[in-house]
Amino acid sequence: MTGVSGPVTYPRCVRLVLARCKVDYVGRLTAHLPMANRLLLIKADGSVSVHSDDRAYKPLNWMSPPCWLLEDGDVWTVQNKAGERLVITIDALIDELNHDLGAEPGLVKDGVEAHLQELLAEQVNTLGAGYSLVRREYPTAIGPVDLLVKDGDGGTVAVEVKRRGELDGVEQLTRYLELLNRDPLIAPVQGVFAAQQIKPQAKTLAEDRGIRCVTLDYDAMRGIEPDEFRLF
Amino acid sequence: MKIRVERDGLADAVAWVARSLPSRPPVPVLGGVLLDAGGTDAGGETALTISGFDYEVSATVSVPATIADGGRALVSGRLLADITKALPAQPVEISIESSRASITCGSAKFSLPTMPVEDYPALPAMPDRAGELAGEVFGEAVAQVAVAAGKDDTLPMLTGVRVEINGEKVTMIATDRFRLAMRELTWKPDESINNAEETAVLVPARTLAEAAKSLGSAGKTVELSLASGDGLLGVSGTGRQTTTRLLDAEFPPVRQLLPSEHSAAAILSVATLSDAIKRVSLVAERGTQVRMEFAESVLKLSAGGDDEGSAEEELECSFTGEPLTIAFNPQYLIDGLGALHTDRAELSFTTPSRPALLKPVGEDGEVQAGYLYLLMPVRLPG
Repeated sequence: MTGVSGPVTYPRCVRLVLARCKVDYVGRLTAHLPMANRLLLIKADGSVSVHSDDRAYKPLNWMSPPCWLLEDGDVWTVQNKAGERLVITIDALIDELNHDLGAEPGLVKDGVEAHLQELLAEQVNTLGAGYSLVRREYPTAIGPVDLLVKDGDGGTVAVEVKRRGELDGVEQLTRYLELLNRDPLIAPVQGVFAAQQIKPQAKTLAEDRGIRCVTLDYDAMRGIEPDEFRLF
Repeated sequence: MKIRVERDGLADAVAWVARSLPSRPPVPVLGGVLLDAGGTDAGGETALTISGFDYEVSATVSVPATIADGGRALVSGRLLADITKALPAQPVEISIESSRASITCGSAKFSLPTMPVEDYPALPAMPDRAGELAGEVFGEAVAQVAVAAGKDDTLPMLTGVRVEINGEKVTMIATDRFRLAMRELTWKPDESINNAEETAVLVPARTLAEAAKSLGSAGKTVELSLASGDGLLGVSGTGRQTTTRLLDAEFPPVRQLLPSEHSAAAILSVATLSDAIKRVSLVAERGTQVRMEFAESVLKLSAGGDDEGSAEEELECSFTGEPLTIAFNPQYLIDGLGALHTDRAELSFTTPSRPALLKPVGEDGEVQAGYLYLLMPVRLPG
């Protein structure tokens, strides 16, 4: 979420309502939530979602913006352009809270993963002797590759850095490699899948596709010496 | 293909080949074993050759067979191993017709689907012979060294055993940064190796240990073949051949870690000490540490603390030098004691924070040369 887009027609605040209510959805399909205690979440963009006390999970029912909330006594109606309606009938209002959350800085990519990428870019020799960095976040049509490097013989190598190496990471790198190998200036491009831990299936899949797996030692790359005695 | 073969020889051979097959092969054919009838064994008799390969390790074995009709077939290795193990002790007949293999033994009959032989990768050629040594020497040496090899993929160079060949002398070294094992032995090198300069290769410890366990039996000879250019090591003996891909990594310079002198040394019975360590370390949480207090003629072992249980035990030992308290990871210490293969061991120390050296002590009470196990202590509490 990057805050409010378009004209600000709603108060810049998020509104939490705890209420005993029932909800009817009238639109492409009809759905009914019987009377119970629920959390209603009304965001500054006008979206309304109905939550139960169940996991960090999607709402029971919701309406995405643009939509409008009309409060008519105990009956709250949320309506969108398509004429779909979410009708919330409030039996008892338990509590209500309004607060302005301000601007959202956006999701920061997993700290460890970003740091691993940064460290690997600095210590590119971890991948092998003679390796040198071309650039981080090398752009392709489907998104940036974590690292593009040159091996000791001048061959191009694309590196995907993960904290946990799983199958989807290998698939991701495979897609990048396919695109990168279409570029006659850098082809052939080899792949390296680098992660703190690599799942056995991911390793098998990577090696089957000719992608080399490298297990990274985050502590060693950060220069954190373990407390225990070691021979070297 | 139509052949007849002895059940025991077949079961052993298939089990040995199937052992090195991947459990979940990326390509189904790699889960197969290749049966090749029509070749001859070392003695010139007709034989059935059974092979497996997963691009890392290959295994090939020949068993004597009566061949009515030669040919090649690829069948599931695991299934064939399970079947041959369970067959009654009678001659086994294997015949391949169209795409099925039928196995008949006594009144038992099996029919297995075969996989296309042409999809199977070519097995690597056995590299040039480098020399030979007694099976039990090879088996013992590899086992003594591989115990110290690392298992962490973060440091691939430490998951191997470095094998250095210098004329008649072979040195094997492995370390996981907490301990280091080194074994020296002599062997019979071929002319080409004897005259060549020193060579060193890094062999994956797990596959080398497997090969040594299955080929390094007493009374037999093991041949080593080496093609460091192709990154391949071959080990063969008793009709079995295996190749493994070498690790392409730089082994750290570890000889400088070996202490040149020591300030205290103890001679202890391996069995007594191992048993006592196993006992007291029962209270050491997740095998953290066992403390050893050496004083003249007495060793006090202790583990645990006030929070958990604690244990101590006193042993007789002959100790020379300044009294010393030092702590070790009990499993690493037991591994080292177990790898000495003698009844008594010499432990030598400098300080509680410097590595200790374990060496075998022979019947005559003298320290035996040729093997050492260097072990880093762990930090003492407080």
